[in-house]
Amino acid sequence: MRSSIPTRRIAAAAAALAVAAGALAGTASGAAAQDDVDRLLIATDQEVDTFNPFKSRYIITYNTNTMTYESLIRPSAESYEPEPGLATEWEESGDGLTWTFQIREGAEWSDGEPLTAHDVAYTYGLLIENEDIRDWNIDVAGNFVSAEATDDTTFVLTLNEPAPSAILSSQTFIVPQHIWEDYPDPAADDANDELPLVGSGPFQVAEYRTDELLRLEANENYWGGAPAFDELVYDYYNEPDAAVAALEAGEVDIVNGLNPAQVEALEAQDHVTVNNAQGRRFVSITFNHGAATADGTEYGDGHPALRDPVVRQAMHTAIDKQELVDRVLDGNGTPATSLIPAIFEQWHWEGGDSLVEFDINEANRMLDEAGYELGEDGVRTMPDSDQRLSFRFYHHADNTDYATIVEFVSEWWEEIGIEVDAEPIEQGSLNDLVYLGEYDIAFSGWGTGPNPSDMLGMHTCAVLPTGTDGSERSHENFYCDEEFDSLHERQKVESDPDARAELVKEQQRILYEDAPVVWVYYQNVLEAYNHDKVDGLTTQPSENGMITGQEGFQYSYWSATPVDGGGEEGGASTGVLIGVGVAAAAVVVAAVVFFVRRRSTADERE
Amino acid sequence: MTDSSPSADRDRQAPSADPPERRTGRITTGFGRYLLKHVGGAAVSLLLVLFSSFFIFRLVAGDPIDQLTRERPVTPEQREAMRAELGLDQPMWNQFIDYLTGTLTGDFGTSFQYRRPIFDLIVERLPATLLLSGTGVVLAVLLGFWIGSRAGWRQGSRFDRTQVTTGLLLYSAPTFWLGMIAILVFARSLELFPVNGMRSPGTPDDFLSQAVDIGHHLVLPVLTYTAVVYAGYLMVMRSSILDERGSDYLTTARAKGLRDDDVRRRHAVPNALLPTITLVFLAIGNIVNGAIVTETVFSWPGLGRLFVQSIFYPDRPMLQALFVLFSSTTIVAVLCAEILYWFLDPRIRRAS
Repeated sequence: MRSSIPTRRIAAAAAALAVAAGALAGTASGAAAQDDVDRLLIATDQEVDTFNPFKSRYIITYNTNTMTYESLIRPSAESYEPEPGLATEWEESGDGLTWTFQIREGAEWSDGEPLTAHDVAYTYGLLIENEDIRDWNIDVAGNFVSAEATDDTTFVLTLNEPAPSAILSSQTFIVPQHIWEDYPDPAADDANDELPLVGSGPFQVAEYRTDELLRLEANENYWGGAPAFDELVYDYYNEPDAAVAALEAGEVDIVNGLNPAQVEALEAQDHVTVNNAQGRRFVSITFNHGAATADGTEYGDGHPALRDPVVRQAMHTAIDKQELVDRVLDGNGTPATSLIPAIFEQWHWEGGDSLVEFDINEANRMLDEAGYELGEDGVRTMPDSDQRLSFRFYHHADNTDYATIVEFVSEWWEEIGIEVDAEPIEQGSLNDLVYLGEYDIAFSGWGTGPNPSDMLGMHTCAVLPTGTDGSERSHENFYCDEEFDSLHERQKVESDPDARAELVKEQQRILYEDAPVVWVYYQNVLEAYNHDKVDGLTTQPSENGMITGQEGFQYSYWSATPVDGGGEEGGASTGVLIGVGVAAAAVVVAAVVFFVRRRSTADERE
Repeated sequence: MTDSSPSADRDRQAPSADPPERRTGRITTGFGRYLLKHVGGAAVSLLLVLFSSFFIFRLVAGDPIDQLTRERPVTPEQREAMRAELGLDQPMWNQFIDYLTGTLTGDFGTSFQYRRPIFDLIVERLPATLLLSGTGVVLAVLLGFWIGSRAGWRQGSRFDRTQVTTGLLLYSAPTFWLGMIAILVFARSLELFPVNGMRSPGTPDDFLSQAVDIGHHLVLPVLTYTAVVYAGYLMVMRSSILDERGSDYLTTARAKGLRDDDVRRRHAVPNALLPTITLVFLAIGNIVNGAIVTETVFSWPGLGRLFVQSIFYPDRPMLQALFVLFSSTTIVAVLCAEILYWFLDPRIRRAS
């Protein structure tokens, strides 16, 4: 009996070993067992909200919409200028109320059906007649009167009032009538949920596994030419660092949203190219310059000093934006002037003579002159009372960049006799407080689009709240200025791009000089790709542009080509084989040690 | 055998596991009362969970519409349309009634962030969670109990010291950090395992390839999860064995000439397992809660990750549903443990 125990154990252990080795070997072959599809893998962490192109609001679904569907006009890769999409030509009538589009001949849906002006008329018809879809897209659809296809290639759209900039820059994704007219409710989230989607763009959404992957298949019928990659897969990585590790290990091809430390690590890798591109995002500091409703009812509890433009300008003068770019972003950004980031060259305003230079003495002089006297505690007081210039400064609790900015800015402001009480607040609560006017200074940041009207519109009197409950949130920070508004109305209907740019720049100058908001910097986009696997990624704009996060059309993925013999498969399976070897050896060693010890202890005890 | 067991009385009772025949009648009524008491307690807990879940997540400030439209300009009309669609325009009282009737009928509503029925999402994610935490819990319990029983048996030995130190070291390591280290070493540098996820996009659809692929992805998260939690089971088993070690029945067993290992395995361990039952049931209850941090580090598409994402969103109906689900599995698991104790531990029967 006793002697049989070791034998039995050895037999069991041998069996276990065999199973383990088999499993690991199986794993190795499994990792090697990849099909030969040319697949572009992009790391993402965002969920899909809905595949309904009229309702989706997320960046990821915006991207898939721009690949699955197309609009009549799209922003170009070179410079965001309007260029032909599904429409080859367009014409605005003399009164600006009728637009006639020539629809591209020979365009097809991904299921092989021809795409005609009737599909376009059907799509615009949804925006006009379907109440839910209209509400969701009210900023453009509110202006549509009728949509009509006069023949297979001519589409006519009539408007309430002229809106050339909106027509040229807002995108309506054209959907196939032969599929969509069967949906019971085209406005529902689950309309359009049947995959693969049918569209006319270069890639169609073909498969979605929540939090696992989102797969798009190339459309061989695409009028611009089929993409070189067969598939495009968004692979989910919750942790940015894990995505970076995956890029290093060759498991994913494109990663974006990197931080400077990750960029540094990736630059050391031979197979990785880092793209440090201009971004569309700005970070700003907004002042509570007097929260009020449209009819002038003031509310909130903002500090009275911030109503004085001189105080805001002095605080602006005491911010060294270049220092913040260098220290917070590691140089990966540009000091901001006004609302529209430098990436949109045609709309961006460079500051001209009004450009504020960092100058503590000048800021002090401005405040002295305006009568804000320095108290004994080093903090200034109001000219007409002894209220100190001590401001609450709210920043987003989850954003470390903001926390660093607060530290720098607080010190500079201390030097001009302004005290700051900084408080990190969770984003939702912070927004609540800002829209209730219960703050002095707070952070804000927006990703801007190619149409400047969207961002400028948030600073017009028209979007001021009507009530004081903080629920109306179309405004950025209660800004209202007549001159600004009249410029805004003019630029919206100006058909000449240069003349419009002048008006847009003038609007930005007003904002800059009035300083309800100080724009701190335009943040670069930091992204990286595996150049052993993918090549030919077109950037937008062409100069110093980005690969991910393109507007209107994903030029990068459409033009991307696989690199031949991108040896990561071999590398991976070799790695796995080595791994199997190491693991098997470890198991054997562990087993031997185990039995030797076991036998010796058993001998001692018995 | 120098240190005497502090609970010698208890040990003496342990071997008398078979209740005498005559007690049967009393057991039934006693059991009825015992059952009623514990089921009632569980029901009250469930009710409290049900109510608090509705209110807790309304305390998380922030307008869901802000999240849906984050950093994108929207008009008031759009906001109203979204509000109506999510049912947020209803008065609080109506929302509560909807929530209550919905939850009780298994209809948890629609997720804000995924815009799909929550029930479907949970059912979809459940298998991934069961696979990861199920495997992890089984491994952790087996490993913990095995090492714990040997460490406790030879208290103060080198095996004991190294195992307890290692276990506690891993126990106190942040899961997040450990997971990242595992990724950097085994996935990035050695390229033995995938960095994260559950399946590779290019794997063929047949069962074997899929199973192997999932197994390959499973290794690092399971090891991380197991490494962090097994020390808990180790320590409980170790102290439980320590309690048993000085018992008379073990002396008897040794006197019969049994090998030391056999004394431990056949006599000490079965008795030492008793106090660990609650722990095991809690672990089973926790399987559903998922290894929240592990799932997050490894982007494992399970319930834990769903929960974390819903917090960040914040996806209120999803949080409510998951909170109710997590709490009720734990409550039910503990209830099961209590019922099982009746049959396993005679002292409880005697007490009632």
